[in-house]
Amino acid sequence: MRPANYTVKEKHIQTLGIALATFYAIFITWVYSVEPKSLEEVPAKAQTTIENVTTKTQVAIGTYEIDRAKFNVGLMAFQQDNFIVARDNFQKADTEKRDPRTQFYIAYSFYRQGFGRVSNDDALFKQGLEQIDRVIELDKNFKSDDANLQLKTPVELKNEFEEGLKVTASDFNPLKVLRERK
Amino acid sequence: MSKVENRKSQVEELSDENTFVVDGGLLEDSESTDRTLIRSENQKLNTKDQKHDEQRTTDNGQLQYIFLPLIFLTVALLGGLRLSAEDNALLFLKPALVCLIYATLLLVLFFRSGLLRLDGWFSEKFSMLKNIANGVVLLALFFASTQIFNSLLPERGLPFWVFAFCFFWTLWNNLFVEFQGKRLLQSLGSVFALAFVSKYLILSYLTAPASASWWRGILENPTQEAFTWLLDLPRFSAGTGYIQFFAVIFYLLGLFLLPASTEK
Repeated sequence: MRPANYTVKEKHIQTLGIALATFYAIFITWVYSVEPKSLEEVPAKAQTTIENVTTKTQVAIGTYEIDRAKFNVGLMAFQQDNFIVARDNFQKADTEKRDPRTQFYIAYSFYRQGFGRVSNDDALFKQGLEQIDRVIELDKNFKSDDANLQLKTPVELKNEFEEGLKVTASDFNPLKVLRERK
Repeated sequence: MSKVENRKSQVEELSDENTFVVDGGLLEDSESTDRTLIRSENQKLNTKDQKHDEQRTTDNGQLQYIFLPLIFLTVALLGGLRLSAEDNALLFLKPALVCLIYATLLLVLFFRSGLLRLDGWFSEKFSMLKNIANGVVLLALFFASTQIFNSLLPERGLPFWVFAFCFFWTLWNNLFVEFQGKRLLQSLGSVFALAFVSKYLILSYLTAPASASWWRGILENPTQEAFTWLLDLPRFSAGTGYIQFFAVIFYLLGLFLLPASTEK
C-alpha cells in the first residue's frame, strides 16, 4: 500500500508534465504558424497574435468596435483625396471587416480613385465592386450620413461601378469629359 | 515456632520466586527491547527503502512526464527550422505528408519491437491522469518523429524522392522483421546518421552558395551551380546543419531514455 503523499507527488508530476507539454506544443504550433524571421521579431508577432485573438473574442461575444482614431485618420485622408492612405487606415480600423460604414468608405475610395473623365480605372472599379458587395452583405439597408458623398447607399455605388465597367456607345460621347465625380 | 519458621521459609521461597520472576521479567524485557530495536531498525530500513523507492519513482516520473516530452517537443521545434542562406533568417518548414506517414510507421515499429509496450503505457489499471500523461508523452514522440523525418528528408526535387524511398524501404522491411528494442535503436541511429551525413554534408557540399547574380554563380562555381539546378537543391546557411545535428541527437537521446513500460 503506497502512502498518500507518494501518489499525490506522482499526480503533481503528471499534471505538471501535461501542462508544460501542452504549453510548449502551443508555442511550437504558434511559431510555425507566424514564422518569425528572427528572434527579435518574436515579441512583435506575439503582440499581433494577442491583438487578433482579442478582436476575435470581441466579435464572438458581440463587443467588437472599430478603432475610432484610425477611422478618423482614414476619413481625413479620404477628404484630402489621399485614397491609398485612407484605405490603409480604414482597413486597420476595421480589421474584422464587420463595420458597414468603414467598408462603405473603402468601396467609395475605390470609386473616387478610379474615376476618370475620359476613362475609369477598371482594376480599381472591380475591387470596388467586390468591396461594395461586402457592404451589402453586412447591411443591405445601409445609408451614409456623410454630406460630402453624393452616393449614399451601396446600391447606388454598385450601379456606378457596374456602369463604369461596361463599354457602351455613350463611352465615346465627347461630352462625357464634362461629367463630375460624385 | 515451627509455624513461624515455615512461614519464614515460605516468604523466603516467595521472595526467591519473586526474585526469579523479577529476573525473568528483566530478561524478557531485554529481549523485547532487542526485538523492538530490531523492529524499529527494520522499520527504519523499510522507511529508507520506501523513501528511496519513492525518490526513484519521483525521479522516474520527472524524467517520463517532464523531461521526455520537453526533449521530444524540442526536436519537434528544431526539426523544421532552417536558416536562410542570404541573411540567416529563420525559416520554419512544415512537414510533408510523407513525414506523418513515416512517423506512424516508426511508432508501429516501436511497439512491434518491444521498445514500447502498449499495455505498459495505457491500461485500465492506471488512473485517468496517468493514461493522459502517457498519451501526452507518446504524442510528443509522434511529433518529434514527424519532425525528424522533416529534418532528414531533402526539401524538394529528386533527392527528396530518393531519400523518401530509402526511408520507406527501411521502415517497411523492418515492420516484418523480429526486432529487439536495442537493435532497433542501433538500426535507427545508423539510418538517421547516414541520412544526416548525406543531406547536411554531401548534398550541402554540392549546393552552390548564394551569389549576387546567376552569371556570377556559374562563373565562380560551375559544378555546384549545375548540381543545384539539376537536383533542385535549396540553399540554406551552414548553421542549419548544426541545428539539425542537435535535433537528431536529442531525438536519439529521448528514445534511449524512453521506458518500455510505465508500470511499476
